[in-house]
Amino acid sequence: MSRAEFSYDFPHRHLVSVADLNPVDIQIIFERAAHHLAANRTPDKRSEVLRGLTVLNLFFEASTRTQGSFEMAGKRLGADVVNFAMASSSASKGESLSDTARTLAAMKPDIMVVRHSATGAPQFLAERTGLAVVNAGDGMHEHPTQALLDSFTLSQRWDSVGGRRILIVGDILHSRVARSNIGLLNILGAEIRLCAPPTLLPSDVDQWGCDVFHDLDEALKGCDAVMALRQQRERMSGGFVPSEREFFHLFGLTHDRLEAASPDVLVMHPGPMNRGVEIHTKLADDPEMSVILDQVESGVAIRMAILELIGANIRKEAAA
Amino acid sequence: MSTTRAIINARLVDPASGQDGPGGVLIEDGLIAQTGSELDLDAADEVIDAKGRILAPALIDLRCAKEPALTPDGETVDTLCASAMTGGFGTIVLAPNARSPLDKADGFAGMNRGLAQRGVRVLSACGATQGLAGEQMAEIGLMVRGGAVYAGCGDAPIHDTRLMRRLLSYTSQFDIWLASRPADAHLAQGTVALESDWSARYGLPSEPAVSERIAIERDAALAELSGGKLMIDRLSTAAGLDALRHVRSRDLEIAATVAVAHLTLNEVDAGGLDSAFRMDPPLRSEADRLALVEALVSGEIDAVVSDHRPTPFDDKGEPFALAIAGTLSLETMLGAMLGLVHDGEVELIDALRVMTSGPADLLGLPQGRIAVGAPADLILIDGDKPWVCQPDAFASARGNSAWSGRRFQGRVLQTLVAGDTLYNS
Repeated sequence: MSRAEFSYDFPHRHLVSVADLNPVDIQIIFERAAHHLAANRTPDKRSEVLRGLTVLNLFFEASTRTQGSFEMAGKRLGADVVNFAMASSSASKGESLSDTARTLAAMKPDIMVVRHSATGAPQFLAERTGLAVVNAGDGMHEHPTQALLDSFTLSQRWDSVGGRRILIVGDILHSRVARSNIGLLNILGAEIRLCAPPTLLPSDVDQWGCDVFHDLDEALKGCDAVMALRQQRERMSGGFVPSEREFFHLFGLTHDRLEAASPDVLVMHPGPMNRGVEIHTKLADDPEMSVILDQVESGVAIRMAILELIGANIRKEAAA
Repeated sequence: MSTTRAIINARLVDPASGQDGPGGVLIEDGLIAQTGSELDLDAADEVIDAKGRILAPALIDLRCAKEPALTPDGETVDTLCASAMTGGFGTIVLAPNARSPLDKADGFAGMNRGLAQRGVRVLSACGATQGLAGEQMAEIGLMVRGGAVYAGCGDAPIHDTRLMRRLLSYTSQFDIWLASRPADAHLAQGTVALESDWSARYGLPSEPAVSERIAIERDAALAELSGGKLMIDRLSTAAGLDALRHVRSRDLEIAATVAVAHLTLNEVDAGGLDSAFRMDPPLRSEADRLALVEALVSGEIDAVVSDHRPTPFDDKGEPFALAIAGTLSLETMLGAMLGLVHDGEVELIDALRVMTSGPADLLGLPQGRIAVGAPADLILIDGDKPWVCQPDAFASARGNSAWSGRRFQGRVLQTLVAGDTLYNS
């Protein structure tokens, strides 16, 4: 089904949660991302579609790859991109987030890309400023562009993500990547499996429309893709597993264990990766199975698609 | 004041005596001189015809807070009292919290003498540990001499079991309640929500409901060991209620309070993570709320507290997980409780009991009842008057309210303390 059959335009001016998206929205994002993915492989990457718009990268948590990915996405579309490293700025001077938001909004940026350690901070900033907000990760809640780039990476390999069996293994309790992926994969109709020790699973996870496993070999059976997550030490208080090596022996991905999965299984990781903890180093580097670097490449394309679609809606509003 | 006043033709609701019917009171020298429908009106200088109105004891709150003195734009004793009398309270108790730990014996008696001049009866509890840090006992005895009506631990539970034992033991010599938040210190540490499907989806740091059960069972066991009087400071879960029922089967002095927020709101009210609903203890599930309402009806809850907590920013300035916990509630508590009555969840007399004679009996106060010889601390209520909660219109200095925009039915018309009208709408 192509969207040319409807007259439907991408309606959103924020991306706070994957739950805001419907399957057609996702299809539109993927179509635009596929276009950017191809263009990014040419020496002529730059367009001017966001010329005149300012994208503010507000990262209250340190980030290299996500911030860089958003920056590159904005610049390739011709936007002015400004990075604010908030961790070392007004937040440490005792200013409330409301006041910070109003101050930044007064500089008249058009899109704020927000990462924050607190659940709900992007929504909060959107409500306080009225600006378009893209969630680049809020606490343990959501990281919607990561989920989009993960499914987009898979959709580049497969016709459809729907109906495929996908396993997420590792620290699901503390993972915003897992929450966004579960939401998005459910919308796309995939079969989702989760595997982790009980200490790293949310308490009501059985209600999330996923099959839950504690035995990785059992969980891997027949999987088309498996996504490893690192332990989010920065969000942990106290120990959730006894040691890294025990975790590796119980939940680490290796070539041997993947024998149980589908023969064409794809291995994913949102990064940063801890080799020898959640994934064997040789597996991470195996070009036959690992799509970890494809995910990074998709990331720029997906973020370009999001910024472009939101930018178009901002222009439409201004014209109206 | 020596004026003799009468209030007649009211629906007199007095939970202490169980009376709910036509009646009135005659007030002499600040005390109730007669009650019933046949009063001696010849002596009355003033007769208030309260036809169609509810006459009840003025409300009593065991747990509210102002802000520390000299806080810019802060909630002072003046604004707190204005807020209290608007909400129908005749007696309020300042409880210790992190910003005002009430843990210093120096000046405590003087503070209470000052608080006694306010019209509204303002009492004070004291902090049980220095700085409420849960490490060293505060000078509880000196503060009891200075007027403290109970000792409290603030919002953080006492994590050290040995200290909790000693606190219960030490306070028993003064025959005062030791109020402790029922939460396991380790399970509650750093959490902002109930562990539930809702909080798990949002990825909020959360506390399981059994945290409350563990604390109640521990503290009750220590009360049994030490002979102390344990006040469970804001019961909030069905799991905690089960524990309360279990420990009450033994012969212990255990009181339980519930905050009005936990009787009238649940976690889903925070919906899109509105910071106004960030509370300590956090809002719980609807099943928890219903269990607490049922416990109120069955008389297992001794007092409902406002847990009135002014915060510096009306919108709290931060997203949910980082926001300061607490809500203003003195001006909305009666409206919220009458909401339960209008919804058929509780009878009026039961709703009033936990705000009048219930808390009065815990502290041994003579007010909170309509009885001959009791202080004439009374309220007149229009039980049906509709109104909308608008924090801008609060007498309080602050505006953080979880009930902002809510529609209420029923409002205070007059608040009398010692026979004097302090508030008249």
